[in-house]
Amino acid sequence: MLLTTVARQGLCLSRSQFGVLYRHVVPMGTTANEEMNKFWAKNTRLNRPVSPHISIYKWSIPMMMSISHRGTGVALSSGISAFALAALVLPESYPYYLDLIHSMTFGPQFLAFSKFALAFPVAYHTFNGIRHLAWDLGKGFKIPEVYRSGYIVVALTVLTSIGLAAM
Amino acid sequence: MAALVTISSVCYRGVRPLLFRSSSLIRPLAVQKDRDCPYLISAKIHATPSNYAYSGSKAASLHWTGERILSIALLGLAPVAYYYPGPAVDYSLAAALTLHGHWGLGQIVTDYIHGDFKIKMANAGLFLLSTVTFAGLCYFNYHDVGICKAVALLWSK
Repeated sequence: MLLTTVARQGLCLSRSQFGVLYRHVVPMGTTANEEMNKFWAKNTRLNRPVSPHISIYKWSIPMMMSISHRGTGVALSSGISAFALAALVLPESYPYYLDLIHSMTFGPQFLAFSKFALAFPVAYHTFNGIRHLAWDLGKGFKIPEVYRSGYIVVALTVLTSIGLAAM
Repeated sequence: MAALVTISSVCYRGVRPLLFRSSSLIRPLAVQKDRDCPYLISAKIHATPSNYAYSGSKAASLHWTGERILSIALLGLAPVAYYYPGPAVDYSLAAALTLHGHWGLGQIVTDYIHGDFKIKMANAGLFLLSTVTFAGLCYFNYHDVGICKAVALLWSK
């Protein structure tokens, strides 16, 4: 008890100096990006293994929804790029290829399922995108609110996808 | 507040008075153990005091704001595309979708790709992809049925 008090007193003495030293500190002048690059350069140079994180950390709903937002974004973007590339490369027009696909169709359920499969990532990314915009306004950060908004997004996604597939 | 008073009393008046104090004083100190005097060990301070005239760039901040504005614009385009399909919306959609995707994939590159050369290569590839995507969509809008009509046709069957 005495020892800790003495030790703390030693630290406390520097406290009076702390204020003085703070005035002599110069701002770092490096950006967060530069600091990050320094981290990666050093650790890859030393060949250090990355500590297990996603393989051991317990997955939560917000985590899964976050990566799904990124996943649907990549999938949709790839789809759009593939479509654009096809438009540039393929010789025939769009209605021609659409009729071609329809002639190969395996039934109305297949069509409905395909519409659902297309609508689902669009709906999810859109609704979760709105959730993100709400966060950007500073709203809904409390943990219960995060979960509640998450469930609403999933519910809206399923309902909208079913609705769109039925059209 | 009370804790601060007790800490300062220990710091500046020395140890001996503590021995004669009541036990009620000791408890707050034990609780505040980790939050009392901050220790000074070569602390690198990332501070920008107001008297330091640092002419930094606002590019990153403006980029962030631009991303949000574009997202909201794209959100608004969806009902417009449904109720007022046509070339104006087709080209707006082509631009907004491509840019939104370009910026989104750009964030992914920033998050996962490290090393000067790899970052440069990834961004160059992304730029190429986005350019081809926009070109393809514009070509489709001009020479073919257009985005709005394409979705309508796809859904009509």
